[in-house]
Amino acid sequence: MAGKQLLTRKLIARVFIYTALTIAMVWALMPIVWMVLSSLKTQAGMFSMPPKFIFKPTFSTYAFMFNEGNFGLFLKNSVIASLSSTFIALVLGTLGGYALARGNYKGAKHIAFWIISTRMTPIAAAIVPLYLIFAKFHLMGTALGLVIAYTTFNLPFALWMMMTFFAELPPDMEHAAMVDGATKFQAFYKIALPQVAPGLVATGILCLMFAWNDFAFASVFTSHKTQTIPVAVSLLVSQTGIAWGQAMATGTVIILPMLVAGLAVRKYLVRGLSMGAIK
Amino acid sequence: MATVSFKNVYKKYGDQTVVKNLNLEIKDQEFIVLVGPSGCGKSTSLRMLAGLEEVTSGDIYIGDTRVNDMPPKDRDIAMVFQNYALYPHMNVYDNMAFGLRLRKYSASEIDRRVKEAAAILGIEHLLERKPRELSGGQRQRVAIGRAIVREPKVFLMDEPLSNLDAKLRVQMRAELAKLHQKLKTTCIYVTHDQTEAMTMGDRIVVMKDGVVQQVATPSELYNNPKNIFVAGFIGSPAMNFIDCTCIKENDEVCLVNEDGFKFLINDKKLADKLINYHNKKLVFGIRPEDVRGVPGESSKENCQRVRVDVVENLGSETLVYVSFGKQTIVCRFMGSPKHKVGENITIALSPNRYYLFDKESGVSVID
Ligand SMILES: Nc1ncnc2c1ncn2[C@@H]1O[C@H](COP(=O)(O)OP(=O)(O)OP(=O)(O)O)[C@@H](O)[C@H]1O
Ligand SMILES: [Mg+2]
Repeated sequence: MAGKQLLTRKLIARVFIYTALTIAMVWALMPIVWMVLSSLKTQAGMFSMPPKFIFKPTFSTYAFMFNEGNFGLFLKNSVIASLSSTFIALVLGTLGGYALARGNYKGAKHIAFWIISTRMTPIAAAIVPLYLIFAKFHLMGTALGLVIAYTTFNLPFALWMMMTFFAELPPDMEHAAMVDGATKFQAFYKIALPQVAPGLVATGILCLMFAWNDFAFASVFTSHKTQTIPVAVSLLVSQTGIAWGQAMATGTVIILPMLVAGLAVRKYLVRGLSMGAIK
Repeated sequence: MATVSFKNVYKKYGDQTVVKNLNLEIKDQEFIVLVGPSGCGKSTSLRMLAGLEEVTSGDIYIGDTRVNDMPPKDRDIAMVFQNYALYPHMNVYDNMAFGLRLRKYSASEIDRRVKEAAAILGIEHLLERKPRELSGGQRQRVAIGRAIVREPKVFLMDEPLSNLDAKLRVQMRAELAKLHQKLKTTCIYVTHDQTEAMTMGDRIVVMKDGVVQQVATPSELYNNPKNIFVAGFIGSPAMNFIDCTCIKENDEVCLVNEDGFKFLINDKKLADKLINYHNKKLVFGIRPEDVRGVPGESSKENCQRVRVDVVENLGSETLVYVSFGKQTIVCRFMGSPKHKVGENITIALSPNRYYLFDKESGVSVID
């Protein structure tokens, strides 16, 4: 009798949990699904009531964007800016993070905190000084300027993350490697680095996302030639109205690579993001 | 293969000195054991020799080369760490081959050495596995294998057996001893287990608070401990200590205390020496195996009437904890228990196998 009661109670709990999860998932996914579907419809089909979920998809919007507009260029700009800044942030951040975690400097903690505190600067506060600097060095409107702007935020973040991962790694393996015949640098990249690979991947994805999604920096520092996709989307709002089809298609293009990357490295992402949480 | 020497070596962390004036000459092919309680500076000494810690002052030599400023990779030593420190992202083969690859050995030579070491250690079937797929004992073997493939001048081992269960530890102890017989490489072995030290070491270095207490062979250490610390550290169960006062009455020199302890010094030479200690505090030491039970209420010399507190049956022998006054003594009797708790018995202290220490300095009075 009591057992049966327990069973029903468990069942009710289950039903409740799954209902809640389903609602949350629909809530989160609905806009995305709607966006992706809309991007595959014609302008007319987009607003038909009730909305159709089964229809003949058309890639005409995408074709138009790439053929008539400058979308290919924007996409290229976005890819270059975010990949370059992520690459620089990861290389320098990994080296610096390792140095801070392993070097026994006086005040290493203070240096580390100062570095991460620069990441906490509101973007708006960074724009003005960067603007002045870029203007002076003729970096306004250049891809290099944008990469530098992203790196000012990604580098401290990557450095702090990598430092945390390295600090949690017991140093014995590197010591063993050095006794085995490795230089300090070999111990770093042959022994320590492979062990924080999940952390490196997770950090890279987060850096990439920051740069890829950025609107504020790009809207200020880019010119017509160096515009990135988020800026391009904003330009679809014109006095004559909003080009909904293109907006949806662009949104899809923004989300898709991150989605694919996230799924591809999901295993690393979870392990990397929880690396700090273990123990 | 090589000799190793520490000359006036100090190690300081801030204002804390963890190794004080270490002087040690280790012979070629010797198996030397550093032993001492936790935190006494054993690992630090070893790590200075490996080049993983800087030497604050003094010199360390491997062979004729002063190695103070030499990076670890050039010292030609191999080290086994307490937690093994295997490279988790490499399989067993690559773990063992790592050092050889860095030294640019040919693939065939690497293969030969790794296979040979694997055969010696019985881990040939594990070469493809990752460290996390191994048991503690297997990891331990891999760690040793990684050291022996290098054929280094010196082996350093920092408590390599302490993470193993008791049975495996005894087995590996014997295997390591055998391995040393075979390879004959100079070996410095750190442990805080005195049994390991006694069974494995050609010579033993006993340390305490960063200071070397005594360097000697196991039997020398057991029979002639230089001070009360070494006496208490070596031997299990530990030596019994009895605080007492030295008294000379008539022509006899006696040790007495207020619990009714009385011990007559038979040895004429020692008695003469103890004249200087008249009325001074000494510590009398006797090992559990040098106490005998005697029948009846013997009032013979150096016998003591005691009460049995605890009896521990170890099978082949029995440990009996007895007391008189505030003093407790452990006795080690052969065979199964013959005494009951609460019973009063008489014990005889061996008239020639005992130790005497100055109460104040702790230094042995017998030489
Ligand atoms: N990096 C460090 N900074 C400050 N003090 C340290 C450092 N490393 C070790 N010590 C101190 O040095 C002393 C000796 O340490 P060591 O590791 O050599 O001891 P040990 O004899 O190996 O002990 P155990 O048997 O516990 O391994 C200890 O008191 C320890 O607290
Ligand atoms: Mg230690």
